[in-house]
Amino acid sequence: MFNSLKGLVVTLVSTMNGLRSPVTRQYPNSGNLLKKHLEPTPVKDRFMGFPALTWDEEINEPYCTSCMVCIRGCPTQCMSAVMKDNPLYEQEKSSRRKIVDSFEINLNRCILCGICVEVCNFDAIVMTHEHEMSTSSRNGDRMNLPALLELGHKFQKETDWIPPTKRAKVVKEDATEVSKASADAEAS
Amino acid sequence: MLEAILLTISLDDFIWIIVGLFAMFTCLSIVVLSLTWLERKVLGRLQLRLGPTRTGPMGLMQPIADALKLILKEDIVPASSEKALFWVAPVIVVISAFMIWVTIPGTQTAVIQNLDLGLFYIIAFSVIGILGLVLAGWGSANKYGTLGGLRAAAQLISYEIPIIMVAISVAMLAQSLDLREIVDGQNDYIYVFVQPLGLVLFFIAGLAEVGRTPFDIYFAESEIVGGPFVEYSGAHWSVFFLAEYINTFAIAALMVILFLGGWSGPVLSGNWEIIWFLGKVYVVIMVIFWVRGTFPRLRIDQLMAFAWKVMVPMSFLSVVMTAVYQFYDWPAWSLTAMSSAGLAVVGLLIFKKMTAPSKLVAEVKARREALEAQRRPAASGGGD
Amino acid sequence: MTQIPENIMPNSEPVEMLLNMGPQHPSTHGVFRMVLWVDGEKIVDVVPHIGYLHRGSEKLCEGEQYNQVITLFDRMDYIANFNNEHVYVRAVEKLMGLEVSERSEYIRVILCELNRIASHMLFIATMGLDAGAMTPSMFCFRGRERIQGLFESVSGARMMHNYFRIGGLKEDVPDDFVHQVREVLDLVKKDTEESDKLLSFNEIFLARLKNIAVMSAEDAIDFGLTGPCLRASGVDYDVRKAAPYSVYDRFDFDVPIGLDGDCWDRYYLRVQEVYQSIRIVEQALEQLPSGDVASSLGRRLLRPPAGEVYVRGENPRGELGVYLNSDGTDRPYRIKVRPPSFCNLSSLKHMLKDSWIADSVVILGALDIVLGEVDR
Repeated sequence: MFNSLKGLVVTLVSTMNGLRSPVTRQYPNSGNLLKKHLEPTPVKDRFMGFPALTWDEEINEPYCTSCMVCIRGCPTQCMSAVMKDNPLYEQEKSSRRKIVDSFEINLNRCILCGICVEVCNFDAIVMTHEHEMSTSSRNGDRMNLPALLELGHKFQKETDWIPPTKRAKVVKEDATEVSKASADAEAS
Repeated sequence: MLEAILLTISLDDFIWIIVGLFAMFTCLSIVVLSLTWLERKVLGRLQLRLGPTRTGPMGLMQPIADALKLILKEDIVPASSEKALFWVAPVIVVISAFMIWVTIPGTQTAVIQNLDLGLFYIIAFSVIGILGLVLAGWGSANKYGTLGGLRAAAQLISYEIPIIMVAISVAMLAQSLDLREIVDGQNDYIYVFVQPLGLVLFFIAGLAEVGRTPFDIYFAESEIVGGPFVEYSGAHWSVFFLAEYINTFAIAALMVILFLGGWSGPVLSGNWEIIWFLGKVYVVIMVIFWVRGTFPRLRIDQLMAFAWKVMVPMSFLSVVMTAVYQFYDWPAWSLTAMSSAGLAVVGLLIFKKMTAPSKLVAEVKARREALEAQRRPAASGGGD
Repeated sequence: MTQIPENIMPNSEPVEMLLNMGPQHPSTHGVFRMVLWVDGEKIVDVVPHIGYLHRGSEKLCEGEQYNQVITLFDRMDYIANFNNEHVYVRAVEKLMGLEVSERSEYIRVILCELNRIASHMLFIATMGLDAGAMTPSMFCFRGRERIQGLFESVSGARMMHNYFRIGGLKEDVPDDFVHQVREVLDLVKKDTEESDKLLSFNEIFLARLKNIAVMSAEDAIDFGLTGPCLRASGVDYDVRKAAPYSVYDRFDFDVPIGLDGDCWDRYYLRVQEVYQSIRIVEQALEQLPSGDVASSLGRRLLRPPAGEVYVRGENPRGELGVYLNSDGTDRPYRIKVRPPSFCNLSSLKHMLKDSWIADSVVILGALDIVLGEVDR
């Protein structure tokens, strides 16, 4: 009896909270009648969406060399790749001897585990923040090389992507700079 | 048949009744639309959700979208069903729901056909709806449906008795079964002040009568997946839905008329008093939604035990109390005192019945603490 | 109507009715099917059917490299992913004789306990729904959502994390992890208290759950129940205490036990476990050492030595055991999982005897099964 009444009080309080600040966040846009926010709920930095290939802006070619490490590491065998000789290497513009010729990821098979990104030695593949990719055709989610590169390029631009191998260096340099600065500060 | 009707009432009256029925149908449909929207919004906010938002401002067009969808949906009739019963069941349910409203007055004049035996008529018609539910359960040739239909029969008939008894005690107070006179009888004081027990019993039994949580046993979603309605879809299902909300509205309206003074209130007069009436009814309905958002569902045997062991005796008691009060012509406060005492007894009964496990819990807690105390030194000594 | 082989039909009187509950039923928690023999509203007998979600996970494990198997364990008990990963990862580490850095052990424990809280919150939510109360489910999902947001910021995925690695973690947690967890814990504690206040001692809820499906301690042990279902019957057994693994022996926490062994005890015990898990996480956050977590093994092809190993851990649902047999190649020779849900489910027939149809839903709910784990 008393506990039931207590429950009624709890729901009354929660109604007041619900009127003031409901928990629901609307999708794809939020806000109320007067003020509409058109941005979807942001994903976290580490969010793993669909995988895509990155683009080396400096040399204007993909990072990927079709070394097949990610393909061997993939638990669902959702990728395939073909390698070719890099024309830019012959012109001595690039340090990559081989380069990707064709690459396909079947996103319907992909389980978004991120193993491919982890095993890649060339910073060539990333988990993008893309997650709204339903299509109406059967082959709609089989992404080929241009589509993957486009997806990856979009992700690079959106997040100011730094290749993980370089990122580690940057962090170290920062640390040395900081320590230098603090040493300077102490010295002065 | 028609001749007989025409003999008792004049043609003018007859046409007026037809017009009134159409008006009633329209008004009730609008009310049902508003109730579905309100319920979803209120429950949404209660659960920290938003409720419908996408259809129109604040989701106001949601009921219309729902209705459109239900009407356009394919109406599936199971191959093994009893076709005739399957078709006629929703009609029975919805007709009984609408017929009640023929005699429920919104104000002194806003009533289609006032009857001297209005209360009697309402109770008689509300029982017919049960028949529709049982037929729906049986006719759809589904075991969940059958179970639901039988549960409905048991539950609704059991809770009809307390409703009748409480209504009788109010009728005794007003010395009339005419709803308008019952409201008039509350000019000095509304009956909830002399019959608090009656109000509580009527509210609980009313919840059971319209199958609202915690008594939504005959269509329990998580047990028998919709009960009698499990095989219905499209327009047929929407008819059940309509009837359910009309019944909820009727129970709330009856409660307002019998206990809360109907349309009487300050400031407004004449037909404007319907605003008071609707306001009170919507407040009662809000309480019903609130209860729905709070409580779990009872089990069928607990429900029946509660009906026959608590509700029925207490409703008889309320009749007896009213009779004694009327016979000896005691002052009004004496009935208030008696009824409050009765309410306390109900509270105690619920407390005793339902808190039997609660005591067990206390016991378990004590035993657990004792065990913990025993275990502590052992654990620290024993290691793993 | 449902065809049932003759030999599993009980000797039924004509009054009994066969009621097919599931696999499409709102309260069977996935695709579980119960064929009930009912006499009116009373259950006479029940034949449970499983296997609708069978994906052959154990066989699939044999075809995957050791690192890839982690993704399969994520998908077994899909409510408590971190706990599953933890047990598997520990099995391989034990086989290889690896030492794991302190920091990664602490982070693992923190994430596992958070996952336990999330799992129990889902249980409270569904328990309320099974009993017919809608609101607690929303309160609990709010808390679970917060924890999952935290997981997303740590591992990049809300449910299928693939974050634990053999010998460590995939990467270190974000910088503001400790602060985030503290924030989430406070809110989750409030959410749990709110639904606790609303549901646990409600008279109707008590009437529905108390003294339903009582299991004695002997029966519970005989049926091989583990986890909250076993402790509700009054057996003080928790793998975290009985055979401490990881760094669980460094924390001060209680193992709540019930004494009646009924559905309400099973429910309330989980509510208490939420508070205990919060305690563990708070202690772990205080003790969290700095250091390296990343495992270089994640990028390498693992070839553990030939041999076999059995490792167990306390999952939200009970004791998860992993038997791992290696033949020295880069793929496991055989992996056998002892899923807690499956073993707990074996007691269903015993519990359902002579109960009501309405109880069957509550009893199944209180067992808290995950069909992904039962069928694998």
